[in-house]
Amino acid sequence: MEHKIYLFGLNHKTAEVEIREKFALTGFNPISQKLVEKEGPVLEALVLSTCNRVEILCVGLSEQHLVREKVMDTWAGFCQADPDLLSSHIYTYTDRDAVRHLFSVAASLDSMVLGEPQILGQLKDAYRKAVEEHSTGVIINRMLHKSFSSAKRTRTETAVSSSAVSISYAAVELAKKIFGELSLHRAMLIGAGEMAELAALHLLNNGLKEILVANRTLERARELAHRFKGQPLCLEDLFKYLPQADIVISSTGSSSAIIRARDLSEVLKKRKHRPMFFIDIAVPRDIDPDVNQLDNVYLYDIDDLQEVVEENLAGRKEEARKAEKIVDQEVDKFEKWLSSLDLSPTIVDLLNKGEAIARKEVKKSLRNLPQEVDPKTIQILEHLAVSLVGKLYHEPIVFLKRRAQEEGSAEKFIDLARKIFNLDEEQIPENAHTEKKRK
Amino acid sequence: MISFRILDLIIALLYLSGAVSFLAGLIYSRKRVQDVSVCLTLTGFVLHTADLGLKYALGLGEVLTQSQFYISLLAWTFLLIFLLLWWRLKLKFLSLIAAPLALLIFTWSLAISPATLPIPGLLQGLWFGLHIGSLFISIALLAMAFGAGLAYLHLDRKIKSKSRMGNVTRDLPSLSTFDRVNHWAVLVGFPLFTIGTLAGFIWAAFTWKTIFSWDPKEIFTVAIWFIFAWLFHKRATGGWKGKKPAKLAILIFVLSLASFVGINFFTETHHSLRPDGTQDIPFRPQS
Repeated sequence: MEHKIYLFGLNHKTAEVEIREKFALTGFNPISQKLVEKEGPVLEALVLSTCNRVEILCVGLSEQHLVREKVMDTWAGFCQADPDLLSSHIYTYTDRDAVRHLFSVAASLDSMVLGEPQILGQLKDAYRKAVEEHSTGVIINRMLHKSFSSAKRTRTETAVSSSAVSISYAAVELAKKIFGELSLHRAMLIGAGEMAELAALHLLNNGLKEILVANRTLERARELAHRFKGQPLCLEDLFKYLPQADIVISSTGSSSAIIRARDLSEVLKKRKHRPMFFIDIAVPRDIDPDVNQLDNVYLYDIDDLQEVVEENLAGRKEEARKAEKIVDQEVDKFEKWLSSLDLSPTIVDLLNKGEAIARKEVKKSLRNLPQEVDPKTIQILEHLAVSLVGKLYHEPIVFLKRRAQEEGSAEKFIDLARKIFNLDEEQIPENAHTEKKRK
Repeated sequence: MISFRILDLIIALLYLSGAVSFLAGLIYSRKRVQDVSVCLTLTGFVLHTADLGLKYALGLGEVLTQSQFYISLLAWTFLLIFLLLWWRLKLKFLSLIAAPLALLIFTWSLAISPATLPIPGLLQGLWFGLHIGSLFISIALLAMAFGAGLAYLHLDRKIKSKSRMGNVTRDLPSLSTFDRVNHWAVLVGFPLFTIGTLAGFIWAAFTWKTIFSWDPKEIFTVAIWFIFAWLFHKRATGGWKGKKPAKLAILIFVLSLASFVGINFFTETHHSLRPDGTQDIPFRPQS
């Protein structure tokens, strides 16, 4: 193929945040910035610019230095910065490596937090924008669609994105493991604090029925309850309301434990022993660890949750290896499709060869005709020969095109056609197959 | 009856593939494999229904005297209850216990040569049907509670000890779902168990003119009934939830299974399903 796929970019691994900021390509339009032009060197382009990565994917002519120069100049020009500085931080992938990199990015295998789901959405947005700006063509379109489907495959077939990797999500996941549907359950938030509030918010987003907010002063409780559309209460009434709470998130500044196992027996009886989940985010801890010994009561403190998060991250790394295998398979499939595009050179070769034969034969025939043939006759003769060849080759060409369309790959047929019509002009020795016959 | 042999073989193969593929689907956490596996088991169940129906229709009352028929019926009841739970509670997970159990018991029914049971008289047919039907459903419910109980204990320990969850554990339903299975199994299972046991005694009174004949099976069953009654009471009024009822349900199921397999086959009892000829004549207590 005469065209190549290129990917230029910088990400959180190759460039610090100042550089990424400097070379961000928010609002970059490859057409109006004259990156993509009809004559090349860049023919198709897509720009992905997020806080962790800036990348330009493009299809261009096979002369790499021309494409690179064009991209660097346009990129640095847009950011009004030094192209050399950009060059020193950039990574370049071509063809298979570029496809592989894009697929890995889409599957979130190249992300700072392995398997985080946002990047796929960002890539989809970038693609939508590129399509609207008409800066993509056959190859990038197909490549992006395939990157989305391979990302979906990695997500369903591996657990690379399945476990929580933040403390508040880990708490929600555990709550779901204990209670199932959260829509019938209440949580109680004791005290306040960023992480505790985040956990409460995540619980609400996951369908929690209601939240009770306990604080030292009713005033402060009201304030917080208003934000969560919950019910405020004073910390002194804690044990009065505790039987209503299935999940308790505690984050007070108290220097000693406020809930102990012996306080809970009465509460549990009132709850008819329905399970309770305590999330202790406070340091020093608010809830005595002996609570975890009670039946149907589960206690996680901040260290426990941190450990869950770390284990999940390690688990994701393991799963990422499986995901990489899937990405490899998908890249293989894409490459196969890409090579089927080589159909057109074959057709051109075929027609060229036919035409050459036709002209040669016309010349031969003219020699046998009387000298004074008028130019019109020559024209008619030539036309006859060339169109005869065209008609004869029409069916095989249609066949090849259809195979390529229907099977996604016509490689073997193209190969066969090239051999049948000897398009590569190979010299075949007279006795090439005598060996085989003897066997 | 070669055609029945082939049908039985197909059913057993379907249960086997259902059981194996479900385990594979669980280990590799593939949802689609699990769905296919439940469908395989379901197909087996439909054929099994036809099999039992045909045997009954063709042999009429005669199959009712063969132990083979009852064991096959028990396997069928396990799946019936599993499919009901699957349909109502979306609990695919119990296929892990239901499919292998059904396979095991069904294969067992094929392996033994038919032994003859006392033929119920027409009048007593109702009591006999009630005895078998409600006890089988109750045992099937217990089997589900057994599976759910094991899963509950496993998951509870994982959460309590804060240890890392593997893929299989991660895909498990929640603790409360398993507890709900226990809840239904106990609340529905115990009354059925009681009805079944009572129907048995009433039938015995009609047939043998005695209610209690100190048969090992009867003693064992009454013992199980007391444990079951305790669990039922605690669950219904004492607010027992979670681990304790899970453990007790496991115990009761194991005892029931031991009673069904052990006592019916290895002891002198009028529930004997032993294929050996001497047991063909049912034990009759002297009245």
